[in-house]
Amino acid sequence: MQPDKFYYDNKTVRNFAIATIVWGIIGMTVGLLIATQLYSPSMNLGNQYTTYGRIRPLHTNAVIFAFVGNAIFMGVYYSLQRLLKARMFSDVLSKIHFWGWQLIIISAVITLPLGFSTSHEYAELEWPIDIAITIIWVVFGINMFGTILKRREKHLYVAIWFYIATFVTVAVLHIVNSFELPVSIFKSYYLFAGVQDALVQWWYGHNAVAFFLTTPYLGMMYYFLPKMANRPIYSYRLSILHFWALIFIYIWAGPHHLLYSSLPGWAQSLGVAFSIMLIAPSWGGMINGLLTLRGAWDKVRDDVTLKFMVVALTAYGMATFEGPMLSLKSVNAIAHFTDWIVAHVHVGALGWNGFLTFGVLYWLIPRIYKTTLYSKKLASFHFWIGTLGILFYAIPLYWAGFTQGLMWKEFTPEGLLKYANFLETVTRIIPMYIMRSIGGGFYLIGVIVMAYNLVRTMTTGKLVSNEAAEALPLVKENEPREFWHRKIERKPMVLLVLSLVVILIGGMVEMLPTLFISSNVPTIASVKPYTPLELQGRDLYIKEGCVGCHTQTIRPFRSETERYGEYSKAGEFVYDHPFLWGSKRTGPDLQREGGKYSNAWHYNHLMDPRTMSPGSIMPNYDWLIDQKLDTTTTAVKIRAMQTFGVPYPNGYAAIANKDLDLQAKAISANLAIDKIKVSSDREIIAIIAYLQRLGTDIKNKPSK
Amino acid sequence: MFKQFVHSLQGDEIYMLLSLSIFFAFFIGATIAMFRMKKSHLEYMSDIPLNEEIEASN
Repeated sequence: MQPDKFYYDNKTVRNFAIATIVWGIIGMTVGLLIATQLYSPSMNLGNQYTTYGRIRPLHTNAVIFAFVGNAIFMGVYYSLQRLLKARMFSDVLSKIHFWGWQLIIISAVITLPLGFSTSHEYAELEWPIDIAITIIWVVFGINMFGTILKRREKHLYVAIWFYIATFVTVAVLHIVNSFELPVSIFKSYYLFAGVQDALVQWWYGHNAVAFFLTTPYLGMMYYFLPKMANRPIYSYRLSILHFWALIFIYIWAGPHHLLYSSLPGWAQSLGVAFSIMLIAPSWGGMINGLLTLRGAWDKVRDDVTLKFMVVALTAYGMATFEGPMLSLKSVNAIAHFTDWIVAHVHVGALGWNGFLTFGVLYWLIPRIYKTTLYSKKLASFHFWIGTLGILFYAIPLYWAGFTQGLMWKEFTPEGLLKYANFLETVTRIIPMYIMRSIGGGFYLIGVIVMAYNLVRTMTTGKLVSNEAAEALPLVKENEPREFWHRKIERKPMVLLVLSLVVILIGGMVEMLPTLFISSNVPTIASVKPYTPLELQGRDLYIKEGCVGCHTQTIRPFRSETERYGEYSKAGEFVYDHPFLWGSKRTGPDLQREGGKYSNAWHYNHLMDPRTMSPGSIMPNYDWLIDQKLDTTTTAVKIRAMQTFGVPYPNGYAAIANKDLDLQAKAISANLAIDKIKVSSDREIIAIIAYLQRLGTDIKNKPSK
Repeated sequence: MFKQFVHSLQGDEIYMLLSLSIFFAFFIGATIAMFRMKKSHLEYMSDIPLNEEIEASN
């Protein structure tokens, strides 16, 4: 039989590689900027568009979806063609995919600093962008499956299974976590409220880590590591078990982000149980990768790409051991809401995702440019400064997290909180924040050196846009009585459906009862909907990203009820579209903030937090005083809430602004008593109204 | 500790049993599948990423 002649598309791979580098540098620079704001609030450059709350989502989205996202596509487009011995299905779709993804990122870069945010972590982008993501993701899927269908290799190598699982699961996660009701072109409310919304978000958030930051990278590991070391994977059997076990277990573990919250206890327990089981497949994968290098460790000494891979796998092993430990309730009680978690995710992001990406870039760019790497010395420098950067980043933050977590819980012999002033626990760890930003700086320098090195490599070589290859076409053969798993390996659609079923089992058992059995969320009679002004204030709270530093969920510990007040009940959040529990306490919890301080205190504190709390690291929010509250949206927002079943009276939308005005005037009059002159139509009035309402409902007697 | 775990379920034991049985069934299935694979097939599969280069150099 005559072999087919065809060409691999290297141009798309190259484009994704460049995008990976460019967005990586941008995303990490934003990260470094917000890291410095944690010890020097004036680093917000004095304006709202570069203030922590707004650009922290920009940092996370840029590194996850722009840096890692483009790296995934680079790795998939390179390895998929070669594993299937076929060019990508459609050049047009490849182009649409590449440019569409870059446009989505640019729209994020514009909208997030402007404050258009849904507040769901790692899903902050508003609904029009959510739709664009869905379309481009489907384009990617068609391109991938098209290639699989016209392949010249009968069997699908395990890397491709990981890619398929990634595609299916991210699609499901993204769609379910985007059930939103638009109220304007850049504002929407989530369908679910409170506890239910929290469950959906963390099912999404956890599995975004699993299926965006892990499975596609494992696929890349299974392809690129054998290529780099020029030897097959240690155990193909283990890779199969690794695959099925990982995708099966991961999907259940989401609730470990909500331990001690008002999520039903059984859901929390399920989350913990499956999180602990996760060690097995994760370590199976790591060991499989590391053992591939057995007998080839001499290569690791000379080959910088392999060095990056070894550190990446080690970081993966550390992060996936730590994850299950953090999901143990007793560990979680100390670590949750502290910088420990930030350190944990950065071991994964900087070590696993970052280093694996760098390894692949150093290996792949010289190959598609038919040249050698410009400078091995610079690559080696990158490796060392990057490793040092990770250490300088992670160790101080572990220290900070552990210190602060224990300080929050410490009592004096008399039974009082030893550090009753929250700020004291913050100022203690500021040196750690400074060290962390130095570590981040090291890491970024390494990436910039890599960019220079790779650009020089590209200019010395010439891109082979279309790389010639040949392979025998597939012929249909009959193989009766074949083992079933072997059959699956040849049937991509079956593999897709099976992966889907496997991930849906966990998702459904865990989420459906909470979403659809109302007795799982006990209601409280005295909890009432927000007033129009409070609702607007709440949306400002979302817009400014306050949830990035302040939680609104009090765990049932004595150390927390002493500090903040009564612990959180599921029924308190039934009108919260979206939930704003948060995941990090850089500042204190705010769930019982209402009535704690006067309006004047809040006014002065928002103007300049240091006048009220010397040493505070919260930024000034002076623009809230200059900006007028947009009340044209009140009616449509109230109507949206009514659609969800929030019990505002019929026809209330039309008259809501009257109530809003009255309440605003009352606050402005109250401020005047303290000699603060501010017009009642300013944004700050709405946000004060919201803060003063927080957590007060359960203190009221139920009224009929 | 286990007692407390079960007590906190409040009549939702079905979830415990269900998830445990799904988990077991799934893993026994996957393990059997893994051990029943033929060695020649496994070798063929794990050589896929390395094959292309040999062909390309021909």
